[in-house]
Amino acid sequence: MQDTITSLINPADEKGQYLEGNELDKLKQYFQTGTLRVKAANQIGSSADSVISESVEKSLLYGDITLPGGNMYPTRRYAACLRDLTYFLRYATYAMLAADISILDERVLNGLKDTYSSLGVPIEPTIQALQAMKEVVTQRVGTEAGQEMDVYLDHIINGLR
Amino acid sequence: MSIVAKVIAQSDISERFLSSAELTQLQDFFNKGSVRISAAQKLAANEQKIVDQGSKQFWNQCPNTPSNSGNAQKTGLCQRDQGWYIRLVSYCILAGNSKPLEDIGLDGMREMYISLGVPLANLKVAMGCLKSVAMGLLSSEEAAIAGPYFDQLIRAF
Repeated sequence: MQDTITSLINPADEKGQYLEGNELDKLKQYFQTGTLRVKAANQIGSSADSVISESVEKSLLYGDITLPGGNMYPTRRYAACLRDLTYFLRYATYAMLAADISILDERVLNGLKDTYSSLGVPIEPTIQALQAMKEVVTQRVGTEAGQEMDVYLDHIINGLR
Repeated sequence: MSIVAKVIAQSDISERFLSSAELTQLQDFFNKGSVRISAAQKLAANEQKIVDQGSKQFWNQCPNTPSNSGNAQKTGLCQRDQGWYIRLVSYCILAGNSKPLEDIGLDGMREMYISLGVPLANLKVAMGCLKSVAMGLLSSEEAAIAGPYFDQLIRAF
């Protein structure tokens, strides 16, 4: 995977150059937002299960999807849904810490649409749950860190569309 | 790979969020961000000086070596490589770990210099001289971050 730092170092090395002006400014910005990122990752990681329950409650729980014939019925499929949402939250948190989307492309989105379509997992409800997750996460971590998490959760949403 | 990528990769392998120890490690790294940037800037600005003064020290200690053989082309290549190692140390300082040095400059290094006929023992002395000049240019806080990467470089030879 790439992260902000590596994505600046690798092209500089290709040219045999030190990191300078613009690249160092980007790094400086990243370092300065480090505390915000670490704090948010801590808050999300320590309450991931409740973030997921709340996101499901806000989006899918009271809909037809949890009833017989729905894609979150029976319990096995409900649990699979929780597991996938937890993956999304965990990888979005990694990407937020790295300030780089590449881990989402490599580890989450690569082949996801095909997998979901072959398993019959509906895309729209998945997106609804992710939208709800954005709201729940922002409530937990505050507006500034929430906006940063939105970038990565939105990247998953756009990758599913 | 940076320290950030490293802790993420190790969390990912065990399918968990980052542990509080890992988050503390990252927080410490971010806290030193401006020192890391100033250290890297100083190495970049002084590469030539570090190489020139380091070479003088090196040739004093080790006069019989390819870079001091009177062949200007050889001297040029050896000093170019020394400059590259300073650049790799600057990457490590910014990345918070030694992966850039290992991946770019140490993996295969022994085979390369043996094939070039450059004695590794001499290079070890040369790298020590680069370190000693560089340390003199950095503040104590910057040197505390840069020193271990130079040490790893020296050990590798």
